[in-house]
Amino acid sequence: MEPAIAAIPAQARSKQLRACLLCSIIQLPVDFRKNGCPNCEDVVQMKHNPDRISSCTTTYFDGVISVIDPDKSWVARWQRTSKYVRGMYAVRVKGRIPEDVEAELENRGLKYRPRDQTDQD
Amino acid sequence: MSDSEDRPYQSMDFDAAMPDSEEPEHLDDQMAPPPVPKGKGRAAGDDDDKEEDDEDDEDEDEEDEDMGRKGKKRAKHRHKRAGASRFLDIEAEVSDEEEDEDEDEEEAADGFISTFDDVDEDISRRDHARLDRHLDTVEDKSPEQIARDLSKRYGGRAVRYTGDMNEIPQRLLMPSVHDASLWQVRVKPGRERDIIFSLMRKSIDVEYSAHPLNIHAAFQRDSLPGMIYVEARSAKQVQQACHGLVGVYPSRGIQLVPIEEMASLLQIKKQDLTVTPGSWVRIRRGKYAGDLAQVMDIAETGEDVGIRFVPRIDLTPRDEGSLDGAKKRKKQVTNATMRPPQRLFNFEEVTKVWGRKNVTKRNQVYVFQNDTYKDGLIEKDFKMSALILDDVNPTLDEITQFSKRQDGENEETVNLSIIAEASRKAAIAVLQPGDHVEVFEGEQAGVHGVVDEISQDVVTITAVGVDIDGQKVELPARSVRKRFKPGDHVKVMTGQNADETGLVVSVADNVVTFLSDMSMQEVSVFSKDLREAAEVGSGTNIVGNYELHDLVQLDAQTVGVIFKTERDSFRVLDQNGQVRLVQPHQISMRRDSSRAIATDSEGHELRINDNVKEVVDEGRKGRVLHTHQSFFAFLHNRDIVENGGVFVTRARSLASVAPKSNVLKTAGTDLSKMNPALVATGGMVGSGAMGRGPRDRDIGTTVMVVKGAHKGYAGTIKDTNGHIARVELRTGNKVISIEKDKLQRRYPDGKLEPLTVRPTQGQGNFGGGQRGPSSFGVPGGGRTPFNSVGRTPNPYAEGGRTPAWNASSRTPNPYAESGKTPAWNASSRTPNPYADGGRTPAWNANSRTPNPYATGANAGAGVGTGWGGATPGRTGGWGGATPGRNVNAGTGGGWGSSADSWADSSGPAWSAPTPAAAATPGLIGQTPAGYGAPTPASHTPAPWYDSSTSSMPPATPAAAPSWSSGNQLPSDDGPGDDWLFSPVIANFLPRIKVKIEGTKMDHYLNGDYENKRGRIPAVTKVTSEFEQTVLVYFDSGDSRTIQARYVVPLPPTYMGEEVLVIHGPQKGTVMVVREQPDDDRITVSSKANPAAVVGIPKSHALALYEDTGR
Repeated sequence: MEPAIAAIPAQARSKQLRACLLCSIIQLPVDFRKNGCPNCEDVVQMKHNPDRISSCTTTYFDGVISVIDPDKSWVARWQRTSKYVRGMYAVRVKGRIPEDVEAELENRGLKYRPRDQTDQD
Repeated sequence: MSDSEDRPYQSMDFDAAMPDSEEPEHLDDQMAPPPVPKGKGRAAGDDDDKEEDDEDDEDEDEEDEDMGRKGKKRAKHRHKRAGASRFLDIEAEVSDEEEDEDEDEEEAADGFISTFDDVDEDISRRDHARLDRHLDTVEDKSPEQIARDLSKRYGGRAVRYTGDMNEIPQRLLMPSVHDASLWQVRVKPGRERDIIFSLMRKSIDVEYSAHPLNIHAAFQRDSLPGMIYVEARSAKQVQQACHGLVGVYPSRGIQLVPIEEMASLLQIKKQDLTVTPGSWVRIRRGKYAGDLAQVMDIAETGEDVGIRFVPRIDLTPRDEGSLDGAKKRKKQVTNATMRPPQRLFNFEEVTKVWGRKNVTKRNQVYVFQNDTYKDGLIEKDFKMSALILDDVNPTLDEITQFSKRQDGENEETVNLSIIAEASRKAAIAVLQPGDHVEVFEGEQAGVHGVVDEISQDVVTITAVGVDIDGQKVELPARSVRKRFKPGDHVKVMTGQNADETGLVVSVADNVVTFLSDMSMQEVSVFSKDLREAAEVGSGTNIVGNYELHDLVQLDAQTVGVIFKTERDSFRVLDQNGQVRLVQPHQISMRRDSSRAIATDSEGHELRINDNVKEVVDEGRKGRVLHTHQSFFAFLHNRDIVENGGVFVTRARSLASVAPKSNVLKTAGTDLSKMNPALVATGGMVGSGAMGRGPRDRDIGTTVMVVKGAHKGYAGTIKDTNGHIARVELRTGNKVISIEKDKLQRRYPDGKLEPLTVRPTQGQGNFGGGQRGPSSFGVPGGGRTPFNSVGRTPNPYAEGGRTPAWNASSRTPNPYAESGKTPAWNASSRTPNPYADGGRTPAWNANSRTPNPYATGANAGAGVGTGWGGATPGRTGGWGGATPGRNVNAGTGGGWGSSADSWADSSGPAWSAPTPAAAATPGLIGQTPAGYGAPTPASHTPAPWYDSSTSSMPPATPAAAPSWSSGNQLPSDDGPGDDWLFSPVIANFLPRIKVKIEGTKMDHYLNGDYENKRGRIPAVTKVTSEFEQTVLVYFDSGDSRTIQARYVVPLPPTYMGEEVLVIHGPQKGTVMVVREQPDDDRITVSSKANPAAVVGIPKSHALALYEDTGR
């Protein structure tokens, strides 16, 4: 089974591109609205929820990665996206997910790692 | 392990060696060996088998190492192959005998052994049957069931978020040798992101084609323009992936990123862009581009920032139509050529212009054109990307605009610490050796000491006090700050209060409060802007062309006196007693009231500088600064705190403090001023007529624009106002307004010279000199030599028939007139007779003849007395006059050339008086003056001295000016020995080669140190009343404190020498001499970039000792 592919935005330089604060995937808002986040939709629940999209994604990111082969790619592993779908990811995303999402992650016993490279260990 | 090339082969072996019953092909492999018939193929197979076994062993060993990682990969691969061979039997039939083991065996099986065929078929049949069965079950399923299955199969991955590898620390994710490499590829700058997207799309497109992309990932960083990074096993794969993409330049090299740098590529952080509420930012573009704004809040996502700033509301809309109709208004907003000035929002003003309906009020805020205004400031959300977060450097002026909004009730809202933090970086630059500093952060916090050295960001201090007294400590420069204690006398180095001095009264962290010497008020500044200083500052008294206590015209009705100068504005007290804050451009001109007439209460003439007191009111005393329209008198009294001691009163209410009769006696000659005829022609300001201010001496000067849009244009100054000149360009018949500092005087021979340098003769401005000694900028050498200086050249110039004479012959009338008198001509011929020696008395006779000068005096007021004083000076000490000429006469280019021709023609005649000149004290007295006179031609006399008088030490006045002429340190630096204290050289001071010059002449220290070379460890400036002295470590090993004025820098002398450039675009940088220096120019380039050589005047470079690393 080939890994799923996220929607690849057609316009690389579109100002609308938004990166998910949780998994750093980059998509157009319209894709987030239609399909939600391909990786973490069950947590962030952005599908058909524009408010959620604006609070859980941001246009303020730096660096774009095209993850073509998540399993093999060291870049994806370093970015902790190797279990995610193929697609465009941001190297660094500025901002934190809303608190309720953070709480939800905690409930599931998951550690939240902000994508802004502030905490590295 | 070279696994990239031969993996398919290896994996086959591996699989063969590891039984796997589920893979059909494995069955083949296992069953094949024993029954295979011996033959040609078999023999080969035997050998292969052995080799294979060996390899298997190896492989197994290796597999153990990276089993986990590769096992999966191989299984996958295996699977593909198995699938293919199930359908592609043909492949076996055509395969070559030389092919590898597996196929060999297959061929053998297919070709020869029928039983195996059966087995094979059996298996494939079994497979088919299984597949059929499977299909049957699938078809049996209901659509719902299928949907459920599918969502179970794919959904789990896409929906269930597991946070995957979040528990693994980042360091365990570091790349290993087994990971694919990163390759740096050059791309067209600006297209990085497009290319990354293109790569993604391309990989999807060709995924199932014959040549899928073999890259794993690719990324781009905004901070690394012009390159992308591709993760792949080999450069070839990168090449293939990039093939056909626009804007990728694989030809410029596909470079392997070293494994240890891979992670850092992804870790690059832009400088910390975090903003906090209260911090200062600037707006990047639009109507408010460059404006300062204060952060109020930051949206949770961090991309939107709420800021407030001073609005720019257009209070003069173009046409009435724009007031209504959104479309037109929009159009106007886009009209970016006119930017309304910054102004706090004022409800009344705005409604007056825009109409009441355009402004609505909600709670505490006004809404106008969709913007919110509070406390006069506009509050608006901006994208972070639209703001400039670093290098904001808010000035106090800008910040005060923000604090104004509080209506003075709470001005402490301005968070000084935030500004301090922002400017902390700048603080490093202001540290100097000798500064007292304290460490305020880090391990050494609390330690204080004296700065020894500063190199880059590290300062070495000698600690003072407690445990580590006397030890040297190296510290990051930004963790120290200057230390002051109450009672220190300090001087402000930069900022609005620059040059104020005062006594420190309190120190709180990095804010020092001191009591200003000038205003007697408390001033708070950052400690970084302070230095300890003994001198009492006078403040910056000159802004543009205006000075403290100038009488200036503000508008047609208003004049005022400047009583305080700020950084770029003035405080002016006008004749109505009101204080105004005025920018230089708001001043229409300076008024000269020196000839204005006013009478005091007793009917006596009131003159400038008279000490008077009021006979009414408070009876204030003061010195008359200016009178205006015979009615107002501006007085100054140091004891009055208000308005800097300046106040305005009515002239009629004043009475002289000194008995007036005396004044009248001494000023008896000025009775002529009472002559109405003279008053009329003299254009006296006081007469009530709208007089002009003093005519700017630059008017009429031919200039060249050296900066800005009109650079390179030549023209003539038509008018000046403050620092703005109106220049009529030669080209285009255009008059432009331009700052004076963008202009340089142009001489007929094309030489350029800054306008600030006053020609003492020539250029038709000789008359300017009559106005007083001050305009010559000659140190108070007394009027006598000065005047003779001005004149002395003429005779010589005349003798040589040089341009200099022509230049001065263009002088204004008084001189031209006197020049035409026979008596003057007689004197102008004097040098020849004087050189002969025979006719010297004739000269004396002439000079004593009052007539020629008397005529001159009649024509130009005030000259008579000055000249009268000059005469004895000249006759008394001829030698005294000579150096004066050297110092001052050289200003005009013409004089330099005349010196040459003159030296040729009459050199021998001159050599006789020269030693005499050297011997006279007059000459020595003049020597330092040369430093202050940056005159290009002043070094011309040098050969003359050298050739004619071998006894002359090199430290002739001629040599000294040659330094100062090229150096061109701002002339207001005062005496030339100030070069040591110039901030430009401060950091390199210990490396500068210096020598002692001029001591022989002055018999300073018996001249023992003359010409000795050495270096200066540090300098400290002392009060101006005392001689500046510096400690010099001589190359010979000894050291001695020497007066700073004898210390001159050495010019570069050889190739490869390091020099400090002190002027021009490279100012303050260390360069290396790249070619043997010639007489006046050297070729230098920086160490870092040796190829970029530039030529600079030799005098712009100071030779340095090699950097010993200190």
